[in-house]
Amino acid sequence: MALTTDDVRKIATLARLRLSPEEERLFADQLGKIVDYIDQLQKYEIEEGEAGSPFLAGEHEAHEAIDEIRPCLPRAEFLANAPAALDGFLLVPEIKGSDHHGE
Amino acid sequence: MGNEPNELWELPAEEVARQVRAGERSAVAVTEAALARTARVEPLLAAYLALYPDAARARAAEIDARVAAGEDPGPLAGVPVALKDNLNVQGFPVTCGSKILQGYVAPYTATAVARLLAAGAVILGRANMDEFAMGSSCENSAFQKTRNPWDLRAVPGGSSGGPAAAVAAGSVALALGSDTGGSIRQPAALCGVVGVKPTWSRVSRYGLVAFASSTDQIGPLARTVRDAALTLRVLAGADPNDATSSLLPVDDYLEGIEAGIAGLKIGVIQEIDDSGLPEAARRSFRESLDRLVAAGAEIVPVSVPTVDAAVAVYYVIATSEASANLARFDGVRYGRRSQEAESLADLYLDSRSEGFGPEVKRRIMLGTFALSSGYYDAYYGRAKAVLDRMRRELERALGDVDVIATPTTPGAAFRLGEKADDPLAMYLSDVYTTPASLTGLPAIAVPSGADDAGLPLSLQLTARAFDEATMFRVARAFEREVGWQVAPRFVGAMGATGAEASP
Repeated sequence: MALTTDDVRKIATLARLRLSPEEERLFADQLGKIVDYIDQLQKYEIEEGEAGSPFLAGEHEAHEAIDEIRPCLPRAEFLANAPAALDGFLLVPEIKGSDHHGE
Repeated sequence: MGNEPNELWELPAEEVARQVRAGERSAVAVTEAALARTARVEPLLAAYLALYPDAARARAAEIDARVAAGEDPGPLAGVPVALKDNLNVQGFPVTCGSKILQGYVAPYTATAVARLLAAGAVILGRANMDEFAMGSSCENSAFQKTRNPWDLRAVPGGSSGGPAAAVAAGSVALALGSDTGGSIRQPAALCGVVGVKPTWSRVSRYGLVAFASSTDQIGPLARTVRDAALTLRVLAGADPNDATSSLLPVDDYLEGIEAGIAGLKIGVIQEIDDSGLPEAARRSFRESLDRLVAAGAEIVPVSVPTVDAAVAVYYVIATSEASANLARFDGVRYGRRSQEAESLADLYLDSRSEGFGPEVKRRIMLGTFALSSGYYDAYYGRAKAVLDRMRRELERALGDVDVIATPTTPGAAFRLGEKADDPLAMYLSDVYTTPASLTGLPAIAVPSGADDAGLPLSLQLTARAFDEATMFRVARAFEREVGWQVAPRFVGAMGATGAEASP
């Protein structure tokens, strides 16, 4: 399946990535080849309801039964890794009108 | 390295721990030997992103003090270990081989690391890896290219290339890696050491940076099968901090490991087409089966028709999960933040685009595509259905045999740069390792000999879920038959070749 640079740009937007024109061309070519390879999956005839049970079904209930409420990572320790914080909150640039370079 | 270790750094972990616990040898002496060996080999290999000699010495002194006080520091007392740099250790940086985690200092310790420490191990450093564990050569690290100790012109494999090179070169006796599609077993194979991907859920992932949660597992790299078994026994078990960790009891993998394999059945997958393998790899695999027969096992053909689809299934499932898992790296809560952004949307876009390397971007893009509206059923849905079929086929096959044998990789270590510009060729390195990853089964890579250039080859043994004991037992019998010595030759070191070049 051939991917165009337009396709690549759309996927990049969904993935919150900004690609250079060179990256768009390179990825269109490389991802196209990878998707061609993956297309071998289309040869399998999948029957309705063939999806199986999850690995280790039932263990999650056992974990829930022994789950205890415990303190989580203290806020100050969490915020020690934040690129910017103020008064115990994460600090980010303005949100208004910022989506996809819109005004 | 001869048959009898004559240098301290050559001792197996099991023997180091025995001597330290018995007070016959100090952990400080073992640590100094490991640091001296590391100082000689590290300039050739670039296996580490950071070394902590002072912390290691202090830790070793602490172990010795406990022995002197009559305490038992544990089954890995004084054993030097390396950690793949996607495992959190409180107070230390963790980079995942990526620029995007710049400045991050782990606020807590991964359970697997805590268990190693509780068993008396001494951490030497953080080892290099492909960025976010995405790669089969370690060339995708944002920081450095690690070299293969058998031939410095070759890759160590990936993504746990740093841990594998460090263990093979004798810098440490053990390392922890993580395996999502082969990232422990493939570098273990290329560096001529033992590597284990345990059953999914056998080892807690708390504190491991997530890549693809349905297949990620932490496991050991070691120079002997016994050391790998000893380490997994330390690592394995339920963890209240990881609700996906299994509550099943952990076997003593060393018990019965020497029992031999007379009467055991070894499955060989009929649908694997090995015609594309290099002659040496094909020959080595046939010889490996002969050795298993010589040890008393029976070879039984089994059928797993979907095995050919494993790489395709894997690169849909793993990239889809990665695209979700890596959404958390956005420059807001931790790691690198772009200084250019004037709005929140730009902050996400710029931080991610500046912080992630090309392979990570490629996989996020592929996963986003496979999950996107209009393509989900054709890619993610179909991959999941083929995976479920593969699981049933493998379970049926393992109903008839004790383990399944395949090569670990489609050949020995390749040259640095050889596959760097061809992502699909790189992905195909995972052809034998992805089935066990996708289906959650335990698998081990064991050295099986060398090709004509003297580069290691490897046999992979896949067992039933939670039957690591049988996996180790067969691997140990095979190791005895092969008589492999982990003795890399550092070909290419300072222009010289052969054993005389060994540092």
